[in-house]
Amino acid sequence: MSDEHLLSVRGVSVSFGGVDVLHGVDLGADAGFTGLIGPNGAGKTTLFNVITGYVRPRAGEVYLDGVALHGKDAYQVARLGVARTFQTPKLVGEMAVLDNAMLGIDGRAGARRLGRSFGTRRSERATRAEAAELLERFGLGRHLRVPAGMLSLGSQKIIEVARALLARPRLLLLDEPAAGLSGPDVEALARPLAEFASSGLAILIVEHDLELVKRLCPTVVVLEFGTVLAAGAPEEVTRRKEVVAAYLGGET
Amino acid sequence: MRWQWSAAAAALVALFAAAAVFPHVANGYELFVGTEIAIFAIACLGLTVAIGWSGQVVLAQTGFFGIGAYGTNYLFEHHVPWVVSVLAISLLCALCGMVVGFPAARLRGFYLAIATLAFAELLDQLFNNATAITGGPVGMAVVPFRLWSLGVNVGLWYLSFVVLVATVVVLNHLGRSRLGRCLRAVRDAEVATGSLGLSATQLKVVAFVISALLGSIAGSLYGQALTFLSPDAFSLNLVIEFLVVVFIGGVDKLSGAIVGAAFLVLIQEALQSFGAYQRLIFGVALVLVVRFLPGGLVSLVPLVRARWRSRRSRPEPAAPQPVEVSAA
Repeated sequence: MSDEHLLSVRGVSVSFGGVDVLHGVDLGADAGFTGLIGPNGAGKTTLFNVITGYVRPRAGEVYLDGVALHGKDAYQVARLGVARTFQTPKLVGEMAVLDNAMLGIDGRAGARRLGRSFGTRRSERATRAEAAELLERFGLGRHLRVPAGMLSLGSQKIIEVARALLARPRLLLLDEPAAGLSGPDVEALARPLAEFASSGLAILIVEHDLELVKRLCPTVVVLEFGTVLAAGAPEEVTRRKEVVAAYLGGET
Repeated sequence: MRWQWSAAAAALVALFAAAAVFPHVANGYELFVGTEIAIFAIACLGLTVAIGWSGQVVLAQTGFFGIGAYGTNYLFEHHVPWVVSVLAISLLCALCGMVVGFPAARLRGFYLAIATLAFAELLDQLFNNATAITGGPVGMAVVPFRLWSLGVNVGLWYLSFVVLVATVVVLNHLGRSRLGRCLRAVRDAEVATGSLGLSATQLKVVAFVISALLGSIAGSLYGQALTFLSPDAFSLNLVIEFLVVVFIGGVDKLSGAIVGAAFLVLIQEALQSFGAYQRLIFGVALVLVVRFLPGGLVSLVPLVRARWRSRRSRPEPAAPQPVEVSAA
């Protein structure tokens, strides 16, 4: 992969207790959607954890626009413009939906300045307004004051996406955003995401819903047993024999 | 909305009026009890931040409480103005909180509790052995501080009350704004904090520092209230008493520390004749509350209110409040 990508992952290897989870993975992503697919245990989430600084790779490098991400802690990677969601949403259950989303803004460089870090009235009001506006776009306007833990799993996932977007990242990693979501929820999620993607945000998405991946992503990367099996346009890639075999687990 | 503001203002005026009148209607013993409640509340509000908000079970608070008491008295004895002594010692404790905080922030749950308990025990040893400053096990008399021309105890009550109110006002703002959100994220979704560009370690250290600062200021006041300092006052028994305050009152709420402090001090005074059994009673109360009322006594208020409302409007059962044990 060349340096021209916004995100470039080069030769990343990870092993847990002697077992190779990722083996020399190369990947590039630019503005717009990139899909990351593959069977369970292929190492998709581990690759996310490497990119976002949660897991240190045994070998390999990760760059965002030429800046090294490998070797940095998660919060440092985030400060360079990488946001993510988790397979199971990590929210503060007893806190209101709005406050949970506001956390995305709380981590931004401006909000961490000492003068604002204790929350002036003005910064609080601006933060609240911005978070509320984005939640409206995701169709959660009615639930702003409800404790996040009271909402369905689908809604919680959408809140987490909103929280990540409010950090104003350049690269957003979504770990199975549509899993467990109802049809309308998927639409509520996909539409604003597509808007962000077309205005220059790079979104790397792990998703088992292949129809959604095909619809959103001009490029997909297929991971199996910790290596890249194929990469390219979704229609073409998903027709390949080895990909079909990997997904069905058969020997076609 | 408007009448709520005026109601709140009226309540505040009434509160200040009551606090102003209190020393004139109460006898010396009652004044001492009231002052003690305010002081314990201040120290335990620090624990509300550390344990309740950020979920870090830190048991070092009695150590900072002791440093506040001994340190302020030491400086005051050496002709440093009292207020300056209090501020200097509280800054020292904040620094201590930071130094202890960085390694402690990497520990979790049980290990953090043990490490910070060891720190409190270490300071207890220091109070026993640094004879030149603390008077050792024999103890030492406290140089009384006079607020203007007020009696020592009356002045101390006013001071404690004002510090308590100021603490509540500041923490109330912090708890509802950025810091409060971030600390709760550390408590309930620590994994996510990194992905948001928030350093959980730094946030925990901030919680430790606030906690140590309040512990120290409360300790400075406590020294004045006791009039005589001995290491017994800051032993591990006090750790249990602080835990009783925060958990029985309600660990996540500011009002919890105040209700808890009132509970502890009043019950302690009422049960004086029970001697060592007191501790047994507190232990049982702590277990019962943690098991059956994890939100503490203050969580009863919304429960009762909901029941009362539903009885007035329609005969439906009150919706159960979701309660969680927030400590890690």
